[in-house]
Amino acid sequence: MDSNRTALPFREFSHRISLVFMLTLAAALLLLGRAETYVFDRARQVVTDLAAPLLEVASRPVAATRRVIERTDEYAYVFDENERLRAENARLLAWKEEALKLQAKVARYEALLNVQVDPAINYVSGRVVSDSGGPFVDTVLVNVGSDKGAESGQAVIDTDGLIGRIVSTGPKASRVLLLTDLNSRVPVIIEPAHYNAVLAGDNTAWPRLEYLAAQSAVSPGDRVVTSGDGGLIPAGLPVGLVIQTSDGGLRVQTFSDRGRLDFVRVLQYEFPSQVKRQDPPQVLKGPPVTSAPPPGPVTLPGPGTAGTNTGSNAGGASPAPTAGAQ
Amino acid sequence: MPRLEPYSPTPAARAGRIVMTVMPFAMGLACVLLSFVPLGRIVGSPLTPAFPLMAIYYWAIVRPEMFPPLAVFAVGLIFDLLSGGAIGLWAFVYVVTYAVVISQRMLVVNAPFSVFWVGFLFAAAFAGAFAWAIISIIHGMFVPPGSVARHMAVTVAVFPIFVMLFGRIQTRVLQGN
Repeated sequence: MDSNRTALPFREFSHRISLVFMLTLAAALLLLGRAETYVFDRARQVVTDLAAPLLEVASRPVAATRRVIERTDEYAYVFDENERLRAENARLLAWKEEALKLQAKVARYEALLNVQVDPAINYVSGRVVSDSGGPFVDTVLVNVGSDKGAESGQAVIDTDGLIGRIVSTGPKASRVLLLTDLNSRVPVIIEPAHYNAVLAGDNTAWPRLEYLAAQSAVSPGDRVVTSGDGGLIPAGLPVGLVIQTSDGGLRVQTFSDRGRLDFVRVLQYEFPSQVKRQDPPQVLKGPPVTSAPPPGPVTLPGPGTAGTNTGSNAGGASPAPTAGAQ
Repeated sequence: MPRLEPYSPTPAARAGRIVMTVMPFAMGLACVLLSFVPLGRIVGSPLTPAFPLMAIYYWAIVRPEMFPPLAVFAVGLIFDLLSGGAIGLWAFVYVVTYAVVISQRMLVVNAPFSVFWVGFLFAAAFAGAFAWAIISIIHGMFVPPGSVARHMAVTVAVFPIFVMLFGRIQTRVLQGN
């Protein structure tokens, strides 16, 4: 009897058994994976760390090609671009003067009110080495790992603004959850009226604004920045602009372009939870007042009443706040 | 009369056989890695085709015995681990799609390329819709289907290029098998 004749049905049978087994295993894994156990997290990190160097090598020619295309584009429009930059430079010079004045004024008020200023934020620069790969996940890998001080929760920005936060780290690479991912939730403030909201990704290019007060007067074009609530992401990072969809809903057009991520910064921000006790100064020295005669120094109550409103101060500014963290 | 020595393959022949056995799976793995290379950035788009699905469909039709369910599962699982999404999602979707493709294989095998391509269109649509349904159930909400629709459309569009590539490799490496 020909051995191939008997082998064929057996091979088909074993193929079917194997298929049923793999289907069951995959279904079980899908259910178990929801538990987010340590084993899966560890497996993710190991696979990510193994693949990161390969992806970094593979992403270099891509970045080089993109630069060549961009350069070609720039050469084609170099005259128009030059004109645009001249006009923008003139506008920005005026803004610079205004900004310097405001900076000096804010510095005086901070000194006057004894404000607890945020500590300087350290950062590590890196490159985006991978794409998300799938249609339901908006994450990227950056070549900054725990070896360079990256930790889960740290904010990641590019030249345009916030792009997301780190959700897992290995020694060599970290995974960044982008603002557009289904699982992304970032507390934000909508300027100029300072309405609080939560920026929620929903797998589209324009994240939603959630928990926005019903009576808030937010309009398209308003600027969205991080609020710093929760202490994970520093306050004031630019996020995007409010846009209105055709159904009247409010969403955010992020400043960062998901399709052009390249060099990024991982902000090693640490919430200043150990705040030193700051008693208000005994004597407030206000900013110089030119029109009215300078009032005499105001004597504040003793350190025992620190944190209470003082009622008035020399500069006519708002009452002294408590020694807040941010 | 001289006695013949029993045949034993040379080390080179053994190595060649191993290469032929693991080649389809290695191509599947290469497709997984390629999915994470930010190719879309060249044109300023975040869209990347589902390369592993192309490999799975191709081998399921052309040489299913060289791409067993275990290989499909492994490709899906590695994709899940690298993507940072729900563990087991693409492993499950790919194995189910593989089972469906195998069951309809006789309609497509030895057919013209246009039929092969249309078959892939249905396979990609099935995989995308199935994955979308699972992810909507997992998140307990109606996940906007736009991104998966675009993802699968790009996949179907670039499929012929990869068929040519897979065909070349199959002809060069696996011809003697």
